[in-house]
Amino acid sequence: MLFRKLFRLLVLGGVMVGSATGCGSAAQGQAADDKKPDSRDGGSPDDGGSAKAQDSDAGTAADAGGGVVGW
Amino acid sequence: MTDELRRLAGAAWAFRARVEREASSRFVRLAAAIPAFDPASPVTDLLRRAADDEDRHATLCAELATAYGCQTGGTAVDVPIAPRSFAARDAVLYEIVAACCITETESVATLATLLTGTAEPRVRMVVHEIARDEVVHGRMGWAHLAREAAVRDVAFLAAWVPSMLEGGLDGAIFAAGERDAAPDDLLRHGVLPRSRKREIFVGTLEEVVFPGLEKLGVAAAPARAWLAERLARRSSPGAGCFGN
Repeated sequence: MLFRKLFRLLVLGGVMVGSATGCGSAAQGQAADDKKPDSRDGGSPDDGGSAKAQDSDAGTAADAGGGVVGW
Repeated sequence: MTDELRRLAGAAWAFRARVEREASSRFVRLAAAIPAFDPASPVTDLLRRAADDEDRHATLCAELATAYGCQTGGTAVDVPIAPRSFAARDAVLYEIVAACCITETESVATLATLLTGTAEPRVRMVVHEIARDEVVHGRMGWAHLAREAAVRDVAFLAAWVPSMLEGGLDGAIFAAGERDAAPDDLLRHGVLPRSRKREIFVGTLEEVVFPGLEKLGVAAAPARAWLAERLARRSSPGAGCFGN
């Protein structure tokens, strides 16, 4: 019950907020055209290296990307 | 209240104070980056306001930590978490999904759970105030992902969600054989017992985060596999604690 409510509140609520203003504007669309998925240099964890998380002790972002610690 | 309970509660609130300070710095940085590719986005203003919220939350958490006898302090470290090879726009998307769609969404579930229990009045007041804001913080992540999904392919994120989950994981919740003493007492002071925290973490992923990602064009299969592996590792002999 809690989770269903959270889905509506956060996900569906967020989608509504996101679509409220200027979504898909010309400028945004142009920027999107400049960055097609196949030209992305980020690749994926499979081709970029080990999918290990950010090394929080080192304090730097690892090539594999990291996450955000919360409550 | 026992010394051990006081120590656990103080450490939890001090940790949260640090998390909130770091979130503030991250939101300021992300708010500055979005106008370059989406000048009309409402998320920019939401991020700025969220940064102020997080500063206020940090103060509230630090005050509680101090009340439990735990010192707080230190400088918040704002570390970009997207893979270095990502272009700026992809890096913003990665970080907002990790920080908001995953972590803030998990935080709302945790806070909502804490609010259903009987907490000390001061704890309840702080949790209530933070919960109100965190709903907006979680929502702004989904708003940004929705805007990006509306104008470009965001499927590439699917392969990266396990890294986001791994990097944000509180390893203690998957430690085998854990047992919290006096779980009801912990709850009264705003600390979820590990078993309850794991339940909330898994439920939020399976019923909120993964369906949300799929709704917006990010396949959740790699993330589901990551979660299944974590749960299997916990239940298998020899599973141990892994930290982050």
